[in-house]
Amino acid sequence: MIISLNWLKKFTDIDMPVDELVKLIGARLVEIENVVDLGEKYKDALIVKIVEAKKLEGSDHLNVTKIDDGGVSQNIERDENGHIQVVCGAPNVRAQQLVVWLPPNSVVPETYGADEPFLLGARKLLGVTSNGMIASARELDLYDEHEGIFEVEDDVRTGTTFASVYELDDFLLDIENKSLTHRPDCFGIVGFAREVAAIVGKPFHTPRWLADLSPNFGNSESGDVEINVAIDDPELSSRYMAVVMSEADGNRKSPIIIQTYLARVGVRPISAVVDVTNYLMMLTGQPLHAFDYDKLVAVGGGKADIHVRAGLENEELGLLDGKKIKISNEDIVISAGETAVALAGAMGGANTEIDENTKNIVIESATFNLYNLRATQMRHGIFSEAITRFTKGQPADLTAPVLFEASRLMNEWAGAKTVSKVADAYPGKVETPVIHVPQIQINETLGCSLDMLQITDTLINAEFEIDVEAPYRVLVKAPYWRADVHIPEDVIEEVGRLNGFDNITPTLPSRDFTAVEPNSFDVFRSLLRKILVRAGANEVLSYSFVHGNVLEKAGQEVNNSYKIVNSISPDLQYYRQTLTPSLLDLVHPNVKQGFDNFALFEINKAHSKKDGLNDEKVPIESELVSLVVANKNSQGGAPYYLAKKILDYLCESLGVKIRYEPIEKDSDDPITKTFEYRRSARLFDVQSGDIIGVVGEYKNSVIKGFKLPQSVAGFELSSAILFDVYKKLKPDYKPLSRYPSSERDVCFQVNENVTFSQIINSATNALQQEKYIAVVTPIDIYEPVDGTTKNITVRIKLTATDHTLTGEEVNNYVDSISNSVVIKTGATII
Amino acid sequence: MQNIDEIGKQLITQIAGSDSPRDVLKAPELKQLYGVIKTLPSGQRAVYGKRINELKIALESAVNARESELESATVESLDITAPWDVNSGPQNLLLTENGSQHPLTKEIENVSDIFTRMGFEVIESRQIDDDHHMFGTLNFPDNHPARDGYDTFRTEEGFIAPAHTSTMQNRILQDGKKKLESGGQIGVVAIGRCFRNEDLDATHEHTFHQCEGVFVSETATLGQMLGTLRSFFEAYYGQSLNIRTQPSYFPFVEPGLEFAIEKPASLGGSSKDKEWLEMLGCGMIHPNVLIAAGIDPKKYRGFAWGGGIERLVMLKYGIEDIRHFESGKLQFLREFA
Repeated sequence: MIISLNWLKKFTDIDMPVDELVKLIGARLVEIENVVDLGEKYKDALIVKIVEAKKLEGSDHLNVTKIDDGGVSQNIERDENGHIQVVCGAPNVRAQQLVVWLPPNSVVPETYGADEPFLLGARKLLGVTSNGMIASARELDLYDEHEGIFEVEDDVRTGTTFASVYELDDFLLDIENKSLTHRPDCFGIVGFAREVAAIVGKPFHTPRWLADLSPNFGNSESGDVEINVAIDDPELSSRYMAVVMSEADGNRKSPIIIQTYLARVGVRPISAVVDVTNYLMMLTGQPLHAFDYDKLVAVGGGKADIHVRAGLENEELGLLDGKKIKISNEDIVISAGETAVALAGAMGGANTEIDENTKNIVIESATFNLYNLRATQMRHGIFSEAITRFTKGQPADLTAPVLFEASRLMNEWAGAKTVSKVADAYPGKVETPVIHVPQIQINETLGCSLDMLQITDTLINAEFEIDVEAPYRVLVKAPYWRADVHIPEDVIEEVGRLNGFDNITPTLPSRDFTAVEPNSFDVFRSLLRKILVRAGANEVLSYSFVHGNVLEKAGQEVNNSYKIVNSISPDLQYYRQTLTPSLLDLVHPNVKQGFDNFALFEINKAHSKKDGLNDEKVPIESELVSLVVANKNSQGGAPYYLAKKILDYLCESLGVKIRYEPIEKDSDDPITKTFEYRRSARLFDVQSGDIIGVVGEYKNSVIKGFKLPQSVAGFELSSAILFDVYKKLKPDYKPLSRYPSSERDVCFQVNENVTFSQIINSATNALQQEKYIAVVTPIDIYEPVDGTTKNITVRIKLTATDHTLTGEEVNNYVDSISNSVVIKTGATII
Repeated sequence: MQNIDEIGKQLITQIAGSDSPRDVLKAPELKQLYGVIKTLPSGQRAVYGKRINELKIALESAVNARESELESATVESLDITAPWDVNSGPQNLLLTENGSQHPLTKEIENVSDIFTRMGFEVIESRQIDDDHHMFGTLNFPDNHPARDGYDTFRTEEGFIAPAHTSTMQNRILQDGKKKLESGGQIGVVAIGRCFRNEDLDATHEHTFHQCEGVFVSETATLGQMLGTLRSFFEAYYGQSLNIRTQPSYFPFVEPGLEFAIEKPASLGGSSKDKEWLEMLGCGMIHPNVLIAAGIDPKKYRGFAWGGGIERLVMLKYGIEDIRHFESGKLQFLREFA
């Protein structure tokens, strides 16, 4: 939203420099995002008189003019009369006109601030020098009219600057209006000026017409035109006023100064009739709408009988912009008799549009339920200046003075006459509540110590009605335009804000010395991170949403994902069920970037519909850690073992004892769906038997789908379960032995189906004697080509806790271990 | 039309038994079917064309199914308990010097640590929630225009991808109610992911992280809020800082403020030419928000704030593009190795 500083100054005295004012408004009301110095934009534009205009020989449309600039321009070529020559192509150029001249070396205002501003010069056209240019309204950046040059109608001395005549020595403040959602009043210049007055502590000058909430419209010259208004449902509108005017001249323009004010706040001047409604909306925040009275009577079955009602089933309306809409029963409709003539607050209907034949108009000044209008705005995608204001909730009391001023300006600018009585339906009149605010509550909430006088002065400056209940309680009645103030906290806000929150001394809450525990799950996840980083992996964060085809490529059921209905792109349409697909999606791009050996991991949440809802009836979130390791240049050996190595390292670092078990073929768990069950394992906690997760290689279809290198594998674990396991761990320290240890290597030849863990387990189970410490580690796993057997060599390291082992003892013990392996697995010792 | 069904059946049987199923798609019968289109009167073409297309899709999926069957048949199982593959040697971990922690998680750990030391508990924010927590309990009536400021993603079921960590406020307040009523205070920070339906560019992400803080006691003041926030940033930047505020509007606080700090020296700020960094939104918790959690606003007051983590990290490292964070690019990640 753009606010003109000069417009503000019409209502309050501002004498501080603009940057100070911007700072103050920023600290006390709202952020100003940008300030444009309008004076700079128009600094060279002069009002001049054309003293002579002649056809340029050799051209069918150009004229050579001589202009009188009152002699103010320096360094410019003049003729013997002191006049300046300018060539002009406008059809409306003629002698004696007052126009705006842009001299050489000035920038055309329309291009001011653009990437390539257009700098004028003195150049020759068909051999004739033209100094600068005579500007059109568009070139002056006023409105979109460049058929002819802009004519100055007012009586102005030549050589006066354009800016000084039309108050363009102005600054435009760009307001961040999101923070004013609760302040309908600040969406008008008057309301904004009231705030500025309260902030800078200067009086605010209320225009007389605005101060009178029950204006006397006087006797209309022929007050016999009938108009009736009725609000069928007071929930929809608290007030609706209308008046009929006739003889408005649709060709008249509003005064130029008004046009420049509209243009500077971003509204295009059109005609006096339209400008009146826009001008008052920008000024007061109260939108107005005008209907063609005769059309309204025609569609209304012969009389002007206006109703405000809810939309009907199957009702349709053709709008001013040419669109035809289906009305919902949440929309508010203005109807003439039974027929809809406007979508209230949003847009008028084509059936009552004002056109060049319009003789009589109905001016509407009303307020509507902001919640209905917001739904209307969303449903029909209408984002006009008017509805933006209506959806903030304009006060009902404002409709009368604005309608009054509208009828006066219609008369003054467009020659219109009021021909009806004012129709006024006001079912929503409410008494402003009195809010009781103890002084102590103000000071205790803000943490300051304002005395009663400071508090009441602040509120009186902002036009609150104040009463003091002895000795320390303020009774506050908010002005009618402050419907946002209803509870003591709102009043406290006002007091704090207008006095400056930055004047409150920062302190710290007092607390006791109870130690706060860090979040233990956070600490655990941080530990996981550090271990995986040590293992050479890179932590990534990837989007919680994925494309449906990522789920499909990963072998997961798309309909098990929560689907986003308003996603910005198909890439972000589904909540991910597990983290692995996101990581797999990142492998190929990184390989393409030249990384050929890496591991990516992520610790995050995922959501699967199958997990259901929790007690709060919101989806259960699963806490996961996932890793993918990829090696473009396979070193030989199945990639499974790359992932398992990192997983073993992780679990060893945590001290968690795990066991690997096969995965059944068609598991329903979304995690396992991505993995090839014959080359993956489920991970169990040995102690509790809980499933921690899955490690392994991916399905061939997954490898193909994500364009993965051949050597790629990974794991996905429940970090929550792993944490539960970790929490229960007890220190596992074994005292050191003072005696040396001995080692023996044993090679078992087994059937190829016998697993490594069967050998280790049978060996470990045989190591039951307490006085020995025995450790079995793998040395070699060999399988001959086309063989049906494999050789597994392990190293058994023995230490006694009470003596040095003799060779015989070692041999006996190793033999007994080996034998037990032989019995359990059918191995041959070789 | 009869013909299409018959040929379709035949081809699907062929695919199911073929070792190179994709070749079946080049069958002359199929070509013939396509050829027929041209010979049909224009009125029938559309129907016929649609049938052919359906057949094509059916064949395509049969081919895919057969292909994955064939591929899968050749998959050998392996010894999942072994430390390495047969006929190969011990596996190595990747090089530690290439490992890296994500700069955002690093900063979240840092922020959590400071708030913990200041006396706040730290919890994680949810990534999927409902209207009740995201808006309802935070004093946003249905259809309130303030909801427009939060471009939320919604699921088919009406769940919401939270647009702010304030989605945890009601839970924090409810959980802390007992503590409050037994004479204690509520002091909790919630950190986590937020989502906004926003187009991506160098400074805008639809996925980002926020840190929410909630403090409630019998004597909380706005001055304490300013002091607490200043104290956090002073610990974070290791220097004393000037602060500045700006009134703002969030329905769940009253008053509501934007909070800025002077640019700290470590980020190139100087005391002579003061620049301000907007850090977060904050305010005194609205009585309706306390009431929604069953806390009596006549007896207790509180303040709350929420700010982005990405901004802290971008300022700290001079990261030029917010999109790097979720890009998964090793080039970016390994800068933090």
